[in-house]
Amino acid sequence: MTASNPGGLSGLATGAGSARSSQEPGAAGLERTIARLLTVGTYASIALLTVGVVLMVLNGIGPLTGGPTFDLARLAPDLVSLRPAGFLWLGVLAVIATPTARVAASLIGYARGGERAMAGIAALILLVIAASVGLAQVARGLRWTS
Amino acid sequence: MFDGLLLVVPGIVAGFFGSLLGLGGGTLIVPWLTLVMGVPLIQAVGVSLICVIVTSGAAAGVYLERHVANLRLGMTLELFTAIGALVGGLVAFLLPERVVQLMFGGLLVWVSISMARRREPARPAGSSSDASGPLPAIADNAGDAPEAMIAGPEVAPTGPSFTEQLSGPGYHVHRLGFGVVGSLFAGVVSALLGIGGGTVKVPVMNVVMGVPLRVATATSNLMMGITASAGAIVYLVRGGIDPYVAGPTAIGVFLGASIGSRVAHRIHVSILRGLFVAILLYTAWQMLQRAIA
Repeated sequence: MTASNPGGLSGLATGAGSARSSQEPGAAGLERTIARLLTVGTYASIALLTVGVVLMVLNGIGPLTGGPTFDLARLAPDLVSLRPAGFLWLGVLAVIATPTARVAASLIGYARGGERAMAGIAALILLVIAASVGLAQVARGLRWTS
Repeated sequence: MFDGLLLVVPGIVAGFFGSLLGLGGGTLIVPWLTLVMGVPLIQAVGVSLICVIVTSGAAAGVYLERHVANLRLGMTLELFTAIGALVGGLVAFLLPERVVQLMFGGLLVWVSISMARRREPARPAGSSSDASGPLPAIADNAGDAPEAMIAGPEVAPTGPSFTEQLSGPGYHVHRLGFGVVGSLFAGVVSALLGIGGGTVKVPVMNVVMGVPLRVATATSNLMMGITASAGAIVYLVRGGIDPYVAGPTAIGVFLGASIGSRVAHRIHVSILRGLFVAILLYTAWQMLQRAIA
């Protein structure tokens, strides 16, 4: 993500310092790193979704034909077989993962900068995201009302 | 192929309008998918959440690069929007579709009235036509609160408190508790209705917490990503996202927002806003009619 960005990882390394956002070089570095992470993640997601849509067109699959439900075990075989669902699901996962990666990067940056409160908040956000995966799995058996 | 265009083109329109008027795409995408394309509401909301994350990711990058968004404040509040979204996502699968339709119809009426009253479109610094990346203002209904209202009662700083650390250049954040409650509510609404939640967050940050409108809009946009992610995960795991619908729609939103950010300076936004309000009111009528019928 930051291979072409010399200041990218240094943003994480210097953290955010103890001053307010955007007012110190460390904070600016972290924000710049996160900005690039978000931009790259978004473009990568759109690229994957575009490949999936092109494969849909090539295979004559209409968007309203009812797509397959998400199954992690099928992701790799679908990608290898160049099935549209594989690329579309990978794109959707990349979309959802991008903000989470941003929080993870913030956690590293703030932790390295010695900002325990902000690092703790970032960790709690990641915990909520993890909980949403777990609780959604648990709630899977509840009644579908649509 | 034709159906695909029927998803990409509205996505472009939603992204285009959103980038010019400071709205999230959900207010257009969800009604289009349900009323025109016949997609079940729960799946339309799931797809819309994916679109919200895409638009947030692209725009928030620009806002952070330009130091418009307040990362610390955004992260603090998004902890609570994420909790709200988690709850909202779980509740959404238990509510009858009719109830969600009623809520969405009410939301559209509220957004329409707010937009009709707005004089100037919210236009954060990163949103000008010179933005290198796509997407300018994407916070839902970001311009509700007059900037003059931010001059609320000042709370004298008594030391380097946590709230003090959340403040930015030229402004102090106060009433964090209200922000927490507003964020929880915004998260629930976001996951229930497939919107970014800026409709709630921006006024709370601006009017109640004393954050300047531009910063509130940009920070809300940053927060939308993680808020929508928490909700989208629930929809993903529970089969509430159709990849064949999500792919073309998200691409359309991305394209529309990219175009909007580049032509923003050439368009008379007031005319566009009037058209948008009319579309929203018509859509609200359709949605409410269907819910009540």
